[in-house]
Amino acid sequence: MNVRFTLNGKDVESETRDNRPLLDLLRVDLGVTSVKKGCEYGECGACTVLLDEVPVTSCLVLAPQVEGKTVTTIDGLVDDPLMEKLRQAFLEDGAIQCGFCTPGMLLTAYALLKENPNPTELEVKKAIEGNICRCTGYVLIIKAILDAAERVLAE
Amino acid sequence: MKLLPSFTLHRPISLNEALKLLSKLEDSKPIAGGTDLLIDLKEGAYKAKHLVDLGLIRELGNIREANGLIHIGSTTTHAQLVASEIIKAKAPVLGEAASLVGGVQIRNRATVGGNLCNASPGADTATPLLVLDAQVTVASLEGSRSMPLSELFAGPKRNSLAPGELLTEISFSVPPACSGASFSKLGRRRGCTLSLINAAAYLETNGATCREARVAFGACAPTPVRIKDVEELLKGKKLDNQSIKEVSSACYGLVQPSTRVHARASEEYRREMSCVFMKRTLMEALDRARRNMQ
Ligand SMILES: Cc1cc2nc3c(=O)[nH]c(=O)nc-3n(C[C@H](O)[C@H](O)[C@H](O)COP(=O)(O)OP(=O)(O)OC[C@H]3O[C@@H](n4cnc5c(N)ncnc54)[C@H](O)[C@@H]3O)c2cc1C
Ligand code: FES
Ligand code: FES
Repeated sequence: MNVRFTLNGKDVESETRDNRPLLDLLRVDLGVTSVKKGCEYGECGACTVLLDEVPVTSCLVLAPQVEGKTVTTIDGLVDDPLMEKLRQAFLEDGAIQCGFCTPGMLLTAYALLKENPNPTELEVKKAIEGNICRCTGYVLIIKAILDAAERVLAE
Repeated sequence: MKLLPSFTLHRPISLNEALKLLSKLEDSKPIAGGTDLLIDLKEGAYKAKHLVDLGLIRELGNIREANGLIHIGSTTTHAQLVASEIIKAKAPVLGEAASLVGGVQIRNRATVGGNLCNASPGADTATPLLVLDAQVTVASLEGSRSMPLSELFAGPKRNSLAPGELLTEISFSVPPACSGASFSKLGRRRGCTLSLINAAAYLETNGATCREARVAFGACAPTPVRIKDVEELLKGKKLDNQSIKEVSSACYGLVQPSTRVHARASEEYRREMSCVFMKRTLMEALDRARRNMQ
């Protein structure tokens, strides 16, 4: 079967199977390797994408289920002003070590700030509960998200 | 890495079409958010040749209030419950429990119907819905029927639905102003664990005395359960710190945690925690009932 959807602003069509996770459709079939494969059990958040603008774990979505929908990864937000601020803050604050969790973390943070431009520290912590980072201990990630929010608001 | 076995995915757009598919196709299962089902398929917990996706059936995904009842469609996601103005205003306890399910990614996919039908003893929306005295509506090609939520649970990860039946709706009466309800949960890591134990309490009071009480535990028995003995102890009692403490300590002997079913913590620990959590939830429910009355 074929699935048609909007990926990072472009209409795409790909042949797929009913039991193909969106994660594999993106990484293997369409070459979007910024989406990371971690646990494949919905627990780590490394495979996070925005599906119709909300974060989901792509390992638990079936490829045919995105028919007609919009899928966004960090690649589709390269020129987005909010994502630019987040990237900058992550780099400057040292919120990245190995980087494996970073694409998912950025997308979750992006969705949070879109909805709530001025979150409290607690709200940031709550928002990233579904994204595991094995390196940073989260402190600098939380700081970076708060810093990015502050910079957007200051503009 | 565990692969998904092969299956055919069907995506009906109406309830009737879904019911026809489920009754016609051998070895079929409904899939809502898939956050339990896809994992169970990977683990080989069961097999399904056909999955019937409920995600495109609009009529199943709404929350509405009519004639003093709140109706929640079975494919309503936890994220929808958290955001719903109706739930915030009329049954905040359910929104709170939903907000503690998984992380945001899971809440955006996982549904309340899936949480209940999956029938995990620790399902987080089960206890608040039990104390709200919820009814569930079940549809099949023969028609639809209603039953108390407690009758949906048949055992650990087993529901009472017959093949070809679908949960379509959960409903409960809008709680009166003299009531308060609360939920609390203990898990190992926020964002990715089922509850080691959870508790919900609902109280109606006339200021001092308890008029109606409903309490429930998750992960303390083979299914989520109301604890009727505790409810009876509460009814007619003067509610204060001391009486709530006394009643809560009775939980130790009233819950039946099984280490076989709930391998994540020992029986004694769960018994101890059931007292602690009952006290905490009852105190909070009482506090809310008093504030709601003001
Ligand atoms: C990382 C992670 C964290 C989680 N955290 C929590 C948590 O904190 N608390 C918690 O309670 N759960 C948690 N869960 C479990 C799960 O997300 C919930 O139980 C969820 O609500 C299941 O809903 P679903 O729509 O995904 O169900 P599905 O997986 O689609 O379905 C579950 C079962 O119910 C059946 N079913 C679904 N809908 C219907 C229907 N309408 N009629 C009849 N049968 C139906 C399916 O056939 C299947 O057997 C977590 C899961 C993951 C992966
Ligand atoms: S790979 Fe999807 S959540 Fe871990
Ligand atoms: S930076 Fe390595 S997992 Fe987060």
